[in-house]
Amino acid sequence: MTNTLHRQGTTESLKNDYIIFAHTAKGITREGSATKLQEFMRICLKYHPVNIGDGKQGNIYKDDIDIQKLISNQGDGAGALAVFTDLDTLQKVVEELIQADLGISINISGLLDEVQACCRRAGIERHSAEHSLGFWGAKDRLPEREIMEFNTMCGHGMVSFNFIRKMIDYVKLRRLTPKKAARIMAKCCECGAFNPVRAEMLLEKVKKGAR
Amino acid sequence: MEIDKKKCVGCGNCHAICTMGVIYLDEDGKSIVNVDECVECFTCYRVLRNEGYPVWFVRTIRKILFFLRLGYLAEVDVCPTGAITPPQLEWPRSIRAVFSDPTTIHPGTGVPGRGTDEIKSNDVTGRLRKGEVGFVIEMGRPGTGAYFRDIEKVAMALAKMRPHFEKENPVTQLMVNPETGKIRNDVLNEKVLSAIIEIKTDLDRIPEFLHVLEKVAKEVDTVISVGVASKCLPDGTIPHEEWIKKAGYKLSVDGKTNIGLGRPLYQEN
Repeated sequence: MTNTLHRQGTTESLKNDYIIFAHTAKGITREGSATKLQEFMRICLKYHPVNIGDGKQGNIYKDDIDIQKLISNQGDGAGALAVFTDLDTLQKVVEELIQADLGISINISGLLDEVQACCRRAGIERHSAEHSLGFWGAKDRLPEREIMEFNTMCGHGMVSFNFIRKMIDYVKLRRLTPKKAARIMAKCCECGAFNPVRAEMLLEKVKKGAR
Repeated sequence: MEIDKKKCVGCGNCHAICTMGVIYLDEDGKSIVNVDECVECFTCYRVLRNEGYPVWFVRTIRKILFFLRLGYLAEVDVCPTGAITPPQLEWPRSIRAVFSDPTTIHPGTGVPGRGTDEIKSNDVTGRLRKGEVGFVIEMGRPGTGAYFRDIEKVAMALAKMRPHFEKENPVTQLMVNPETGKIRNDVLNEKVLSAIIEIKTDLDRIPEFLHVLEKVAKEVDTVISVGVASKCLPDGTIPHEEWIKKAGYKLSVDGKTNIGLGRPLYQEN
């Protein structure tokens, strides 16, 4: 999936948005990956991610989810991910993952130059990289920039344009706080790539009429 | 997805949560799904918690409030009466859920939903090697969805350029013949939330591929998210950057980085 590739926003806003994920390859690293994925999640959890989850079981914002159970139920699978809002913490996670030597592929989505600098400080050089070339085709069907910033935080596109509009309206009308609205949006994003802290910051601006 | 009209109280929560915006209020004041446009992502069913209230209770409350000129405002993430009912999907409609619901593991790839490995495991698979570039062409995202007939149109246009279609990709696995990009007929009228065409070619062919893609993108009624990837040089340089710039396209400031911790590391000859 290209799920975390097309996140929209200003460079300033994207500085609060780093997704680190473990990924396994069928026939190479997937078989017997359960304990490695569990360890990946434990390491991430130690550094207080703002979201964590996997596509199969969901993320920590789902109703009645227990993070310890989510980790222990992690079987051999495609992967898991966690979201962090600053580079220093991300670097500590990377350093601990290097030490743990899990042998599964680790990827980071975020500002490419910042991520490269983070890797270098941790003593490694990046292996492969991917850019977005943006949106093509019937772009007239896309909504305004603000909606896109929220929508693209869920790489599977599970936070609908209409729901984002509703949450923005509810925040403006003081029916929901930005924090609550951001957490509800995060529930829609199954794998946990949605960044509720960044969403909350964007909604705070909306609330103050700054956007 | 289906909505049980005997249970629906017309609160409208499912209308907004629907990723395709295809749930609406029928003449009788109950919600209904436009099944042609529904992609079976199951988001409404998963996210809207069933409050389990008796239907008569909610309807009575609504009537009283309406009489008093007051509105009924359910919490935004609930279905008060559990009216959303997941259907038993049969082929070819079931392909919608396989591509649209990220909790579904694709039988061919072992990856949830429409996902693929692309560069995420490139350190151990060597999918993209020195001198190669990968394109991930995600059709239908963000938020518009795509029919396989449109996905086929793009795949066939690209196929003429003789790229390598990634075998372990859910769209490639629906192709009758990857040399032509033709997709099996029985799924062409199925709509999915998005689907990813994944190809690779030589770096120096970047301009011609993007030119073809730009042309065919104008012929489909959906949006396309385009990604480009390559294996970095030993000093961390990204080889495709130079070619993309030469071709006149703008690269994003953010992106995805495989940091190379997978083992055993794929060794090129």
